[in-house]
Amino acid sequence: MNRPAQYRNGVRVSEQHGAGEWTLEKIALFLLMPLGVWVASTAFTLSGAGYDAVLQWFASPLNAALMAATALIFFGFASLAWKVIIEDYIHKPGSKTLLLGLLNLVCLALAAASVFFIVRLALGSAPLPAGFGI
Amino acid sequence: MSNLSPGNDPAFDQTGRIVIQPNGRPRPLSPHLQVWRWHITMTASILFRATIGAISVGAVIGVAWLAAAAFGPDAYASALAIAGSGVGLIVGFGLTVVLFSFLLNGGRHLINDAGQALTLKPADLLSNIAVWGPVPLAVLFWGVLFVAGRVSL
Repeated sequence: MNRPAQYRNGVRVSEQHGAGEWTLEKIALFLLMPLGVWVASTAFTLSGAGYDAVLQWFASPLNAALMAATALIFFGFASLAWKVIIEDYIHKPGSKTLLLGLLNLVCLALAAASVFFIVRLALGSAPLPAGFGI
Repeated sequence: MSNLSPGNDPAFDQTGRIVIQPNGRPRPLSPHLQVWRWHITMTASILFRATIGAISVGAVIGVAWLAAAAFGPDAYASALAIAGSGVGLIVGFGLTVVLFSFLLNGGRHLINDAGQALTLKPADLLSNIAVWGPVPLAVLFWGVLFVAGRVSL
């Protein structure tokens, strides 16, 4: 805690994990640039496509892998980006902790759901029963 | 009051930004949206935050699309019908604007984060591209889809 302050280019370096999260967010955003172009081209390819065409598209391992990578990197980026937004506007410690917890929960759930659906589509699994059969 | 220099003396103030604080001292007003002359870089910065919000909604719609495909032909046909309806097409157009905004504005953010293009002209140029670029790109995207007959009203 009592480390001497560190400076880089005349700017004080964060003492906790801020700098690491900033770097992670930038790496994620950097990776999302080519993936975003790919998502745009995919959206163009699959616009108006029927169920069979979509399944055929997912049968390509490259498509499925890129889609899974996009989902994981995007929801990781989203959790970091929304964390910054929440920390900017919510100052009450209790509310902030609660919202950050909820944020991570939602991002984790969406990332897990994406991978679950993508893996099933890539493997050509049988369609899920309505309401998961419950 | 030794801190009364022409810089923050209301008598010399030509900016209208010097206010008397509760402790009686004249101080320049904190910079804020109403104080600064509006600049395109501010629009780009604010729009990127809005874009992150909008593309998060888009990602949820994307997961819903994955779910529709995973739940089989009937669910996917319903999703396709919603996407092809009037509201669906408007939302779809909005999502392409958001995606292109994320790419152009995110690119601007990365360049600026690397310490590049921070002087007036390059910063203005990148901001203008990030703010205005997504709209013609989205129009082009949908224009080609319609002309190719891939999507119809």
